Amino acid sequence: MSDRKEFSLNKNMISTAVYPIFFGLFILLLWETEALHKIIDADTFTLPVPSRIIGIIAENLPSILKNTKATVQVAVGGLVLGSLLGYLLAMIATAFPKWGKGGLTIVSAFNAVPVIAIAPIMTNLTKDFSRDPNLRSMLAKTLVVMLLCTVSMSINAFRGFNELKPFSEDLMKSIAAKPASVFFKLRVPNSVPYIFTALRVSVPGSVIFAMVSEYFAEYIIGVGRQIRENIVLAQYATAWAYIAAAFVIGVTMYIILLIFENILLRGRR
Amino acid sequence: MTINRKKASERLVTLVWGLGLIGLWEIGATVVENTKRSPQNVLPHLYQIIQSVFSTAMVSNKQTALQIVLSNAGLTLYRAGIGFLIGIAVGFLLALLMQRFVPIEKIAFPYLMMIQMIPILGMAPIVLAITKDIDKSRIVIAAILTFYPVATNTLAGFKSVEKEKYELMHSIAATDRQLYTKLLIPACIPYFFTGLKISAPMAITASILVDTLQGGGGLGCMLSQSLKHAMSIYVFWQIVFLSAIVGILSYQLMALIEKIVSPYERAGA
Amino acid sequence: MNKKIWFKTAFILIVFALAVSPLFASGSQEDMVTTYYDADASVESIVVDAATKGQVGNWGIGNEYEIQALLTKYGQPTTYLSQAFDMDGFDDDSILLASAMTYNELGLVKNSYDGGYGYGDTVSYIDMNDEGVAMLEDNIFCNAEFAAENPETVKAFVYASMKGWEYACANVEEAAEIVYNYGSSVSAEHQLYMAGEIKKLVETDTKGNTVTEYGKIDKEAVLQSMELAKTYVKLEDSVAAENLSNLTIGDLVDSSYWEAAAASNGDFDVEKSEITVQLKWLPQAQFMGYYVALDKGYYDEVGLDVTVVPGGGDIGETTAVYTGQVDFGVTWIANLMAANAGGMDLIEVAQVFQRSGIVLVYKLN
Repeated sequence: MSDRKEFSLNKNMISTAVYPIFFGLFILLLWETEALHKIIDADTFTLPVPSRIIGIIAENLPSILKNTKATVQVAVGGLVLGSLLGYLLAMIATAFPKWGKGGLTIVSAFNAVPVIAIAPIMTNLTKDFSRDPNLRSMLAKTLVVMLLCTVSMSINAFRGFNELKPFSEDLMKSIAAKPASVFFKLRVPNSVPYIFTALRVSVPGSVIFAMVSEYFAEYIIGVGRQIRENIVLAQYATAWAYIAAAFVIGVTMYIILLIFENILLRGRR
Repeated sequence: MTINRKKASERLVTLVWGLGLIGLWEIGATVVENTKRSPQNVLPHLYQIIQSVFSTAMVSNKQTALQIVLSNAGLTLYRAGIGFLIGIAVGFLLALLMQRFVPIEKIAFPYLMMIQMIPILGMAPIVLAITKDIDKSRIVIAAILTFYPVATNTLAGFKSVEKEKYELMHSIAATDRQLYTKLLIPACIPYFFTGLKISAPMAITASILVDTLQGGGGLGCMLSQSLKHAMSIYVFWQIVFLSAIVGILSYQLMALIEKIVSPYERAGA
Repeated sequence: MNKKIWFKTAFILIVFALAVSPLFASGSQEDMVTTYYDADASVESIVVDAATKGQVGNWGIGNEYEIQALLTKYGQPTTYLSQAFDMDGFDDDSILLASAMTYNELGLVKNSYDGGYGYGDTVSYIDMNDEGVAMLEDNIFCNAEFAAENPETVKAFVYASMKGWEYACANVEEAAEIVYNYGSSVSAEHQLYMAGEIKKLVETDTKGNTVTEYGKIDKEAVLQSMELAKTYVKLEDSVAAENLSNLTIGDLVDSSYWEAAAASNGDFDVEKSEITVQLKWLPQAQFMGYYVALDKGYYDEVGLDVTVVPGGGDIGETTAVYTGQVDFGVTWIANLMAANAGGMDLIEVAQVFQRSGIVLVYKLN
């Protein structure tokens, strides 16, 4: 990709941007004119037109922001803590490969446990953490996100530490490098792309996990919880406003990730 | 001989970890047992869960806990399976189209990225309101969650084919059909299966979550009713373990199918 | 070699500590002494005390309006704790004034059968009916369009259901057993307790007078419910909020079907015979009238083939009826109002519960 000529890159970039934008506008137009409703056989009650959803967002910005903040705190908190812990676990597993690998096999099993089973368990386990239900709900939700991010990071980082370029480890050994310097000079740099592989899964995941764990939390706050509360009250237009908010959270976090990835991996490709 | 021994010791390590995890659970359960009024809601002993599996006491509707779990599991897994297959078909087809036609790739690629940002699990109730049928919405949601990883991974597989191989195929005047069957499809198979391994547990999670929306049955419905103390809480714990086991098995099943489909691929990887 | 083992042990211990630490976070709470309320304390003093401490509990999702009205009545902010579907929070004193349905949670708190907490007479409660903040609960509703197109079906369904309710209230023990056999989710003892309490809700109005006409729509009680709902149902969508404030009783209730059913001799020329009804919650004696009508063949007698769909899922019964997944639903007036304000056109055709079943339960010193 990088060996493309300047002008073709520009032309390429323009068409890369223009095509999807047109497609997006086309869909929005279908949606706003209710043609989309005819295609999927929906009504404007369960699928309100975009202008109405935007209207509700504009009217309720403070309360949408308050719930957005709660969800972002949980998603980002869980993502950061979980990823750090996962990286640490992968380091330890690399230091003790025989035991580490088996441990990670067990850890990876957590990947298969549905988040809706983990969320209520966490809520129950953290009941005694604090008298303040907002605080203990926050802890429960963050733990759910953290657990799932830990799993994804530890598995990927472990691969990053160990799937080295052929002979590179032998080379390090031949110059009598200490295990520590093998670790920091070879393994850590090698793990960087794998970190991003993990984050590409964890970032969208963290938002979804945060939303699902809000369903089971004691304290009523967060974008996911508001979607559900409004649906119970049959307020579909308002629910859509919160769906839009959740979408924006996810896209923003993903774009931030891509920017980081671009900066950190620039020299590598 | 040495390989066998290595394998045996790996198994032993995993076994030790597994036992460690069980020990951890049991210690936690003992603490909970001594501090909580209804410990079975927070963290029961494993033997209590196993006891409930074999218990013949009627929990609800003249069924034992195990009968409830198994009869509802069938319903959930069947829909998850259909959605999964549809998702695979659509995802693969889209990847093929994107590989074939550049404009389609340009239009679809950013949306593929964005689709995973749509909080589809949070939107489940709305999907239900639009499809007006719980079975349909189970299938739709499982399909959407499956489709994304399959499409992106398969596309990455197509892209992994080196230019030289393309040129070789052209130089021997291979037909389009030969190009696909001999080069592109075999090349994308491992990537395709990576997608399947990610999406199989997701399809199951999605189906369980959709169950919680309506009182009509399914694992999620029973999970939610059990959490609301409408029936023995052990139904909940059984579902937690069952869903974890099924999630892991679904992953293993995909790995097994991959092995059968492409035995020679393994040698390199 | 020895060193390695130490590392491993340390590692395992760290992981263990991380995993178990939330469990030990309690401890200090055991020392806290909670004072309860005196038997002769005024309702106001109890509400003010619990609200000041932030320890009034409710489940939310549409069950909170009466509690909020009570809090407002005594000059307190309308915030409450999100209460779980068990009474553990009340039991461990994290909630001082806990919401309870007379027929469900209150029974679990007082009684000592399986799943009960056995508090007996050491607890007391505040009744929403006595406080003048009662809102009407379980009714029967359907789409207005469905009712207009299938008037005989609606009348027949109301007629047979009310016959079921009448029999259930007259034979509580049998009704409890019937529900239990239809896949009840709670124990047989609790079912019987529930049936007895439900009978009181069906046969007594908000003022404590006896009601003999099952399912009658009491206009005055509906108006009180509507007024409270307009005050406490908060909708973020301004269009829906406007609709809510403009709702009239005519948009919500049509008593003509019930009146025709009450006056009829049981002969109906039904337009649609296969009927589904969506309950608001899991199968339990709260819905014994429908199960009895099913079991005794009352629906068959009027030419209906009825399927009862249990509730308890997260999609509302209003949506299920609106989208046509089911024909009839059981819900509360406040839910019906929110749904109609949002753009549905649902109509109540019978009011089964004549008084509010929500109480706030507290422990006595």
